[in-house]
Amino acid sequence: MFEKLQRALWKALTPDLVPDQPKATAPVKDDAALDEAVIAALGGANNLKSRQRVALTRVRVELHDPTLLDATALRNAGVPGVMALVGGVVHLLVGLSPT
Amino acid sequence: MATTQQLQLLAPLSGLLMPLEQVPDPVFSSRVIGDGLCIDPTSQTLRAPLAGVVSNVQDSGHAVSITDDNGVQVLMHIGLDTVNLAGKGFSRLVQEGQRVEAGQPLIEFDADYIAVHARSLLTLMLVVSGEPFTWLTGDSALVDSGQPLLQLSLGAPAPSAEPEEEGEALFSKPVTLPNPNGLHARPAAVFAQAAKGFKASICLHKQQASANAKSLVAIMALQTAQGDALQVSAAGADAEAAIKALAELLASGCGEAVTAIAAEPVAAVAAPAGKLLRGVCASTGSAFGQVVQVAEQKLEIVEFASDQAAQRGQLERALAQATEALQVLRDKAASTAQGEIFKAHQELLEDPSLLEQAQALISDGKSAAFAWNRATEATAELFKGSGSSLLAERALDLMDVGQRVLKLLLGVQDSAWALPEQAILIAEQLTPSQTASLDTRKVLGFATVGGGATSHVAILARALGLPAICGLPVQVLALASGTPVLLDADQGELHLEPAPAVIAQLQARRQQQQQRQRQELEQSAQAAVTRDGHHFEVTANVASLAEAEQAMDLGGEGVGLLRSEFLYQDRGVAPSHEEQAATYSAIARALGPERNLVVRTLDVGGDKPLAYVPMEPEANPFLGMRGIRLCLERPQLLREQFRAILASAGLARLHIMLPMVSQLAELRQARQMLEDEALALGLKELPKLGIMIEVPSAALLADLFAPEVDFFSIGTNDLTQYTLAMDRDHPRLASQADSFHPAVLRLIASTAKAAHAHGKWVGVCGALASETLAVPLLLGLGVDELSVSVPLIPAIKAGVREVELSQCQALAGRILGLESAEQVRDALHQHRQSTLAPSPVLEN
Repeated sequence: MFEKLQRALWKALTPDLVPDQPKATAPVKDDAALDEAVIAALGGANNLKSRQRVALTRVRVELHDPTLLDATALRNAGVPGVMALVGGVVHLLVGLSPT
Repeated sequence: MATTQQLQLLAPLSGLLMPLEQVPDPVFSSRVIGDGLCIDPTSQTLRAPLAGVVSNVQDSGHAVSITDDNGVQVLMHIGLDTVNLAGKGFSRLVQEGQRVEAGQPLIEFDADYIAVHARSLLTLMLVVSGEPFTWLTGDSALVDSGQPLLQLSLGAPAPSAEPEEEGEALFSKPVTLPNPNGLHARPAAVFAQAAKGFKASICLHKQQASANAKSLVAIMALQTAQGDALQVSAAGADAEAAIKALAELLASGCGEAVTAIAAEPVAAVAAPAGKLLRGVCASTGSAFGQVVQVAEQKLEIVEFASDQAAQRGQLERALAQATEALQVLRDKAASTAQGEIFKAHQELLEDPSLLEQAQALISDGKSAAFAWNRATEATAELFKGSGSSLLAERALDLMDVGQRVLKLLLGVQDSAWALPEQAILIAEQLTPSQTASLDTRKVLGFATVGGGATSHVAILARALGLPAICGLPVQVLALASGTPVLLDADQGELHLEPAPAVIAQLQARRQQQQQRQRQELEQSAQAAVTRDGHHFEVTANVASLAEAEQAMDLGGEGVGLLRSEFLYQDRGVAPSHEEQAATYSAIARALGPERNLVVRTLDVGGDKPLAYVPMEPEANPFLGMRGIRLCLERPQLLREQFRAILASAGLARLHIMLPMVSQLAELRQARQMLEDEALALGLKELPKLGIMIEVPSAALLADLFAPEVDFFSIGTNDLTQYTLAMDRDHPRLASQADSFHPAVLRLIASTAKAAHAHGKWVGVCGALASETLAVPLLLGLGVDELSVSVPLIPAIKAGVREVELSQCQALAGRILGLESAEQVRDALHQHRQSTLAPSPVLEN
């Protein structure tokens, strides 16, 4: 680790001396995976702007068109609680994630 | 027989019920505070579950308690760890002492903000007064706000602690409260629970206010804050034991992870008494402006978390977000130097061992924030203890990037930094992230306590062309923001509340400097000849073709030091012969056959490692395998370099220079290799071969080296640190590791004498050669060539033109008898005043 850091720091200190090497960035993992039925109830994958696991019990999604959300279908798909907020933000209350 | 009264508690929110024992917070799930329920809310207004009086609303708006006329007390706590939000996302609709109806709105909150910025939205409603209850709901986990939920039985109140026979109350010593958010619900519950274990009646005092220590709500109503001086009093049989135990509990944080409160170091520092503070110049220039103190936000970190998977997810997300944010900073960086720093930060984030440490801690049940913080802190400590000043200084980078991720994990947003005009930023140490968010148009300069020539402040300030001072006394942190100050980086001085005359003087000096710089530039093509007609060569220190070309434009008479490391650093395999040869030839061609090109062979080692030259870690790399030592151990590397350098023979006056030579055998071995390679290439004429004088042994044996070399070049930076045994980047010693020290100067003098006795020339390629103050001294000591950093070529040439060699020699003779670097500097300043009185003076 030290060697690697020292190289990085040397690079930082002598930027003009060191050629740039393109580096692949690590892909962001998605732990807020949702069932197909849930996605369908949210208006389909194309309606999802973003999704994010938040606050221990929730999946926060942003919808392009919040009117496509089908609350009954969501409940049938196993999401017991839904909280629709302004700006197309919806919290799905999915409970504590198993550890 | 008491009639049993009934009281219904209404749902304070709509949402999903969660069994209390599942709540991922031991204080709530263990029912220490009281039994009750937990709702994951789907509504955003907390309503009163019963009629009564608001007995307490926390200032931060995340908790409220209501007491009814029968003494039933219900606490509602919105979210977990929401005290950390410090009120953001909450609006209180009621006041303490206000009477409210059942169902009346108490607190509105922004569920989305809290969900994104706090640990959880799980909301607790707890019967603190302890009445038993039955559930009124069916099987459904979904509840609506206002729906009756619990049925309380009031007839059989828990036997309340009757006041004991009142003895005289005993008091504890004052305890400074360590909890970052005061005694909020959780620590207050722990404290109250402990107090209930004693028979004595116990009170907690904060100044004039006091509270029943056995009542959670009463304790919360004290609205304590970190640093408050609290006292415990008790009356009754076990009063003494109670006071002892409870005072200790208070001091230890009541179950919260707290750091012991030492006397605040900054607060303890008195504002500086004088009008002048001294530091070390990190970037030249001067400015008049007002003090802006830069303080780092304190972050609160919860140690434990039960949900490992979620913690891992949070950490991964935060790391990805931080990488993105750093990319944005890189893309809009004000300078390449700054961009490179953030690139290094991104690489730190990808470091697997850092991540492994954090993951291991999460597996042990720690929260992502705690784990990440611990991992970065531990590694930073490792850096600091590494013995390498460069790495030690980079510990700051690690802490900086660590804070960036930590803030993302904790949902803390950096407040935009509103700077006043003409700001002179003062800090213990400025981090790259802090400086990146600066509006540099408003910043006139930097002044810091920590840092050295390679610190970020120095790099950034030079890149921005702003003056900066490092190494100021810690009192500078006590200066009030807005204090007018004059930052004179050239002199390393910070003047407090300067008189108008001082400011005018400084401005006049700036103008003179600029005028002088213009003049120097105009005359840069002229030779560096002293008034009494002696010519000295002023050459350049370069590390690329571009620099070599620039040096020629600025009047450089050759290259006195080509740092060949740039060809080798940061790559997986050694450069090919063709690549090396082409690079040396291009630089040689830029100079032409009439100019000297001095190529220093590879100077790397434990302090500057190469990926493809694996080395054992060394305890002290500056005293380890570096320079010629490494090359002789790996002769193939050196032979290849010789071959490549020899390919440029004839294109310029080629010189080869060996670094870190300390023994004659090293020189002889290298010369043999060079001769072998030259012979193999069929070269008739060998290039000149010389050595760096940077180890005291080489300087002391210069008379024995001289017959076997063609030239010496003195590396004053290393020679100074090895002679004085002071790391030149040491934060506290750097200012003393001064090349003007008479011991260093004597080594230079004896080296020059030995060289001239054998008809060899001596150059200086260290930083001392780039100081205008040193010019007459170095000429007087017998130095023949000054190799300087490219931008300073015109100034040093002008410096040579201003002196007389005979005077310089007399001056040098006097100076060699002085005791200290300060005396030497004073003597040089005096000399300059006396010889150059009419013309303006240039520092550095």
